[in-house]
Amino acid sequence: MPAYTLQTNGAVCPFPLIDAKSAMEQLTTGDDLIIGFDCTQATDSLPQWAAEDGHEVVAFDRVGEAGWTITVRKGK
Amino acid sequence: MILTGLFLGAVLGYVLQRSRFCVTGAFRDLYMTRSARYFTPFLLAIAIQAIGVAALTGAGVIAPEAASFAPLAVIGGGLLFGVGIIMAGGCATGTYYRAGEGLIGSWVALIFYMLFAAVMKFGPLGGFTEAARARTVGDATIQETLGVSVWVPTILFSALVAVLVVRQMRASAARRAGTKSVRLPARRSGLGHYLADIPWNPWVGGVLLGLIAIAAWVLSTAAGRNGGLGITTPSAKIITFLTTGDVTLVDWSVMLVLGILVGSFIAAKLAGEFRWRVPDARTILHSAGGGVAMGVGAALAGGCTIGNSLVETSLFSYQGWVSFAAIMLGTWAAAWFFLVRPQKAAAKNRPAPVLSPAA
Repeated sequence: MPAYTLQTNGAVCPFPLIDAKSAMEQLTTGDDLIIGFDCTQATDSLPQWAAEDGHEVVAFDRVGEAGWTITVRKGK
Repeated sequence: MILTGLFLGAVLGYVLQRSRFCVTGAFRDLYMTRSARYFTPFLLAIAIQAIGVAALTGAGVIAPEAASFAPLAVIGGGLLFGVGIIMAGGCATGTYYRAGEGLIGSWVALIFYMLFAAVMKFGPLGGFTEAARARTVGDATIQETLGVSVWVPTILFSALVAVLVVRQMRASAARRAGTKSVRLPARRSGLGHYLADIPWNPWVGGVLLGLIAIAAWVLSTAAGRNGGLGITTPSAKIITFLTTGDVTLVDWSVMLVLGILVGSFIAAKLAGEFRWRVPDARTILHSAGGGVAMGVGAALAGGCTIGNSLVETSLFSYQGWVSFAAIMLGTWAAAWFFLVRPQKAAAKNRPAPVLSPAA
């Protein structure tokens, strides 16, 4: 399965989510999108969006202080 | 004892940081994603405060005075404030607590907001603000117009909120059923895990916000300031104090807003969520413009998403509820203009965000 990265560091909410949604539209089912972000509120909004839109979160972790990465596998 | 303001402000900053509570997001997402995830908890905070304030007023502990209703100033100021908080990416309180998390863009928004609140309240436009806010009409509160006790709107509103809360909790429980929850790996154990590791759920944030708002009435009254939570006037007072040295401006509410910065910094630092984060030039310009609109708007409307949408609403004043609606409409209009419209244009004109294959 192909994996793609989307780096949003420096972007404040809701831009990480907006960019993630638009990036997801380019992918096909089963592709992984690895999103890097540093807006604290996105630690809530990104997993929430994945759950509501039927994507699977395959990894979610911190990257240093106030930095995060989440890997979302595109659902149907 | 104005120092109780510093303490309560720190508690408020801590709670907002841990629960990722954002009133701007609550209003914006109602329109953008049709989600009431933070909106209903915010209504819950209003209801809790309304019950507490009505009870404490009945017991003679506090004596709130609802603001007189100046429709043009409240509607115009509310709309402007709503536009400003979308541009700045957070309301006044949100901007204080994000500044405490180390967001440089929030510091820019905060400084312009404070400066323009001071310009409008104590500076050259003070006369204009006063004249606009003097054009009042009719009664100040809904219960005055209806000729009923404050308990009537309090109970009706609380019942409505209770229904919304139960419906939303059921819906989210149904959605969660069968799906595993996504969590960051734990970094602390025991009490620390709950206090400074896992994020707090929006309901926890809403309930604590309501309780803090009640405590604010009691502590502020005890310190000689008749009022609840307030953000804009103290922000204007800080600038005016710093430029005139007039120490009489430093009151309980000034301590409160400074406390938000402190509490949010402590929460973020303990949870490994503090870092100086520098945005790009475009974001900084939006933050500055948003800060100006927030300062001017909140001064005209007589309050921000806290002073009006949370505190005046709990007194059932027209200023509170009309400004609540105006701020919300302002966020929707600005969300369309700054967030939805560019996306639609982008979908047509330019390639989507850059994606690179991962190694």
